[in-house]
Amino acid sequence: MSTVAASSNARRIGRGFAGAFLLAAIWELSVRGFNLPTYVLPSVSSILAGMVADAGKLAAAARFTAAEALTGYLLGCVIGIAAAVGVSMVPRTRSAVMSVATAINSVPVVAYSPLVLLWLGIGMTSKIVMVAVAVSFTVFLSTVAGLDRVDRKSIDLVRSFGAGRMAVLWRLRLPTALPLIIAGMRVSTVRSVIVAIVTEMLGAYGGLGWVIYQAVLQIDFVQVWAAIIVASAISLCFFGVISFIEQRYIFWR
Amino acid sequence: MTDMSIAWSEDYACGLNSGARGLAGLLRPVKAEALAAPAAEPAWTASGDRPLIELRKVSKSFGPVIALDNLEATILPGELVTVVGPSGCGKSTLFNILAGLEEPDPGNILRFRGKSSAASELLGQVSFMPQRDLLLPWRNVIDNAILALEIEGMPRAQARAEALKMLPEFGLSGFEAQYPNQLSGGMRQRVALMRTFLFKRDLMLLDEPFGALDALTRTMMQRWLLDVWQKHRRTVLFITHDVDEAIFLGDRVLVMTARPGKVKLEQKIDLPRPRKADIVTSPEFVGLKKTLLDAIEEESMKSFMTSGH
Ligand SMILES: Nc1ncnc2c1ncn2[C@@H]1O[C@H](COP(=O)(O)OP(=O)(O)O)[C@@H](O)[C@H]1O
Ligand SMILES: [Mg+2]
Repeated sequence: MSTVAASSNARRIGRGFAGAFLLAAIWELSVRGFNLPTYVLPSVSSILAGMVADAGKLAAAARFTAAEALTGYLLGCVIGIAAAVGVSMVPRTRSAVMSVATAINSVPVVAYSPLVLLWLGIGMTSKIVMVAVAVSFTVFLSTVAGLDRVDRKSIDLVRSFGAGRMAVLWRLRLPTALPLIIAGMRVSTVRSVIVAIVTEMLGAYGGLGWVIYQAVLQIDFVQVWAAIIVASAISLCFFGVISFIEQRYIFWR
Repeated sequence: MTDMSIAWSEDYACGLNSGARGLAGLLRPVKAEALAAPAAEPAWTASGDRPLIELRKVSKSFGPVIALDNLEATILPGELVTVVGPSGCGKSTLFNILAGLEEPDPGNILRFRGKSSAASELLGQVSFMPQRDLLLPWRNVIDNAILALEIEGMPRAQARAEALKMLPEFGLSGFEAQYPNQLSGGMRQRVALMRTFLFKRDLMLLDEPFGALDALTRTMMQRWLLDVWQKHRRTVLFITHDVDEAIFLGDRVLVMTARPGKVKLEQKIDLPRPRKADIVTSPEFVGLKKTLLDAIEEESMKSFMTSGH
């Protein structure tokens, strides 16, 4: 069964690469065919050449952004899950916390970026905080939904075995919520990279967002595209890792 | 499934909290009984045992709905008592009270081993198997079976070892690593039963454990349950909506009235044990069935009328 899953995974990945290759070919041909100027769309080959030329700079920026995104992501996951568990353990806090969370979440989090930069400066901290905020709301809401899925009868069953609140949480509620928690975490991967980059564009000492911003100022569109492609690659890897973990460990439903 | 070679009754001890008498009830000469006819005698006629459970004036209402109304019942150690009644008459509610999950309305008397108790004091004292199997989909067979042991704080390895020894008896050998979604209905039910058995308490509550099974599987499971019960001698309360099942398994059958539920009729079943499958055609069996069906029919009619269908 697992080999079937593995081979279907391999096929999916293969198809993804084929699609990317096709896109690159069409892109290259249309840029050359229509003779598009670089500021509209540079050719794939020139972007690749630019990536090779600027490899050191891009790699450093990628590490910078990835570190911010990953740190913020982990923090956000921990905060989101902990807050959801807290709310479900103390039901009285629930309606207040949920309405505040929904209100804050109804504005795209990046709208708060300028304020956070003002408060925390343009170093890594502000990016990490922004990512953590964005991720924690998503993970919080999906964890709350997951914890709500436990049915009354199952809780009664483990209580009849003498389980207290912690045992119910640990052996029943959290495992029941796990599929939704991971789904929230999967969606958050891409979000974390986006938020890190957007916040970097508003002010930073490094990172892919900063590279993109600087390159725009210098009218170097090849470098803009090179940074975008590196950012996409990071997002995709991150998403792939969490999807893999999800498929591997959430085997029921 | 007829292979009952595993005999582990000697080192089998019931719950930590069981009194000396409860233990004595459980450890009655299991070996001798397993062999032949002497087992026929129901445990409670043999001695003047004090009741394991005594219920007096137990009522329970949910808002305007009165589920139980002054229910009275007594369960003796080692008995297998079956409970039948129209659906919605409060059978599951009764079990929830006995499992400590619901508190009956004030004014009730509930004695557990002679001691007056609140229902909540029974939490963790009774092995309860709810109507649905409620297996946890992320745990395989063995880990589902040891759920109660883990909650009691037994180390996982030890609990697994204990459960592994019991697998053959439950017809689950070789299935220990399967997950619930890979099992048939009968197997899932046996895993749930095994989980209940591994939680070693004097009183076992089984809520329609075979209700969702097809007729053939159900008959197999009934015979199997009797074998296991005769070996381990737990006190069992067993809800069913099947009169044949109630008679075939029980030392006594309690027929409940339509809602609000109480005990309408208490029928002792004197059929010899071990009971063979063909006992259902014996005149005694047919006679008992007629008595019970009459009582049940009267109540079913009542609940049919009041529910306004
Ligand atoms: N938690 C509850 N809240 C409200 N009503 C309930 C609850 N549990 C049971 N009831 C009601 O009590 C009655 C008896 O239910 P139940 O004990 O499940 O019946 P049975 O198991 O005999 O079919 C039903 O009318 C049911 O709707
Ligand atoms: Mg019921």
